[in-house]
Amino acid sequence: MKTIKDKVAKLSFVALLIAVSTAMFYTPTASAHGEKSQAAFMRMRTIHWYDLDWSKSQVAVNETVTVSGKFHVFKGWPETVEKPEVSFLNIGIPGPVFIRAASYIGGQLVPRSVTLELGKTYDFKVLLKARRPGDWHVHTMMNVEDGGPIIGPGKFIRITGSMSQFTNPVTTLTGKTIDIETWGLGDIYFYSFLWIGIGIAWMWYWCKSPVFVPRLIAVQAGKQDSLISDTDKKVTMGFCGGVLALTAILMSSTNSAYPVTIPIQAGLMRDMVPLEIPEPTVSVTVDNASYRVPGRSMEMTLTITNNGDSGIRLGEFNTASVRFLDADVAEDEGVYPADLLAENGLSQSDNSAIAPGETRTISVQASDAAWEVYRLADLIYDPDSRFAGLLFFYDEAGNTQMVGIDAPLIPSFI
Amino acid sequence: MSASQSAVRSRAEAVSASRTLDYMILFTLFFIILGGYHIHFMLTGGDWDFWSDWKDRRLWVTVCPIVAITFPAAVQAVLWTRYRIAWGATVSILGLLFGEWINRYFNFWGWTYFPMNFVFPANFVPSAIFLDTVLVLSNSFTLTAIAGGMGWGLLFYPSNWPIIAPLHLPVEYNGMMFTVADLSGYHYVRTGTPEYIRMVEKGTLRTFGKDVAPVSAFFSAFVSVIVYFVWHFFGLWFGKTDFVTST
Repeated sequence: MKTIKDKVAKLSFVALLIAVSTAMFYTPTASAHGEKSQAAFMRMRTIHWYDLDWSKSQVAVNETVTVSGKFHVFKGWPETVEKPEVSFLNIGIPGPVFIRAASYIGGQLVPRSVTLELGKTYDFKVLLKARRPGDWHVHTMMNVEDGGPIIGPGKFIRITGSMSQFTNPVTTLTGKTIDIETWGLGDIYFYSFLWIGIGIAWMWYWCKSPVFVPRLIAVQAGKQDSLISDTDKKVTMGFCGGVLALTAILMSSTNSAYPVTIPIQAGLMRDMVPLEIPEPTVSVTVDNASYRVPGRSMEMTLTITNNGDSGIRLGEFNTASVRFLDADVAEDEGVYPADLLAENGLSQSDNSAIAPGETRTISVQASDAAWEVYRLADLIYDPDSRFAGLLFFYDEAGNTQMVGIDAPLIPSFI
Repeated sequence: MSASQSAVRSRAEAVSASRTLDYMILFTLFFIILGGYHIHFMLTGGDWDFWSDWKDRRLWVTVCPIVAITFPAAVQAVLWTRYRIAWGATVSILGLLFGEWINRYFNFWGWTYFPMNFVFPANFVPSAIFLDTVLVLSNSFTLTAIAGGMGWGLLFYPSNWPIIAPLHLPVEYNGMMFTVADLSGYHYVRTGTPEYIRMVEKGTLRTFGKDVAPVSAFFSAFVSVIVYFVWHFFGLWFGKTDFVTST
């Protein structure tokens, strides 16, 4: 007799089946902005990416696109993240939708890991060749050994055409021109499945006779030795000798076919050349900083001293790749991703030029929904409530100076 | 029909039933071994097996045979002891390769579009057949562990050389030297595999001259012997049927 418990169990199972089936057919695409999942403190206090450029927003298969710009290795690198003594300039794309044709730091090709210095700024360039059609979010990215990936801003690039047209030719030092995409595939399939076939043949020899039950009975009766006949031993010796001989023959023929080979290449690259940026003539002290949770804005009091010989104005605050601009002073003339750009996000109590020799204390507010959208507000729940970022000052001639700031952040919940 | 009566009424029926059982057990055994072994191998030697630019002449040659001899040793312990079945290592490796090829072709290539000449699995069949044949000829697990284990480790690199040799051609690329495999690793972007994570030879193995692969192969062979012994006993323990009450 069915009880209520049985009916509930049956209905629950049916509901579970429906849920699983629905989930199988509904699979939303995860395609961008995974960088939000990285801790805010890490995005603010490690690598700062700026002056970025994505050379094209649409390319055809086999065409190239360049992602370039600068990155500053922040002096206040958090102790919880390993220093970038072994780092790798990567590129954040969803798999090999592009191939990385080249990557450079300071004009030097960097296919291997490099050593970076705290407080230095480097220029970089990554050359990508389009491979697979689609709309792909392309991020700058630096991997740090024992620190993990540090992802910069991303921008969608569309690839058109067909992947079947993609080619990746290269000429070896032995004079062969090959397509890396398909080179050696014939040998890989042939030798792999040749040996799999030999393995199946070995098993077939034994499995063409009864396998389990009769053999179990014989072993249990103490007649196990009768299960391996002299013919079996001869065949076994044949397989053993055959395997050894075939391995030797194939190795010898391979050495003849490819007399010149080299081992896998690896090693650390040092002495990356940083940009020679003159010491800024602006000094900044953060007197206090707070984050107003309801208003999604950060307020800081800055004491700025202009030690240069030209008036300067604060134009931009860049933190975790989000750029807060004072529209009166600076505007973005590049192709920076719009969702990371608060064009009117920076307001100041006094944004007039600070004269040479002048010291001024101003209140600066960086407001934008980006604080929450990009989970920077989560900083207030970190065990070390500090913020960091880059301030960009503009002089009368339009030149910029970059100053890093790093200070405690006090949240305000009311 | 009672418990004292046979389930079959003639010899022909007995043979047929036995053969049906063979196919059923073979099929099930294949996939059970495949499941456990594939997971084990991917978690231990996986990185070296996934990517052609990890197939160097030191770490790959050393690590893969050591972690791969595990299940063949355990399966041999059960199948030879109970049934005198001679293909314990081979069925393990064929299961592993079946799973690996499906994974690489449909996932690595079919889903993420890494070229197959970058993500093909290594070949273990010669080593497995050697291990099986030593067991059949010697009828001794000790000799199989020592001689078979040594052969298992030593055969790995030569049996894979025809497959990886084309990928070790030298290339000059923008002023630096690469193998074709290195260039594949550089070109085909893996955001979770930065270059520094590649556990490959970086020139610290001091050899008698320049031959790294033989030194690594012998080391791998020696450790394979020890691993065979340990996993032989795992196999015997897992193959126990003490919990089955005899009627």
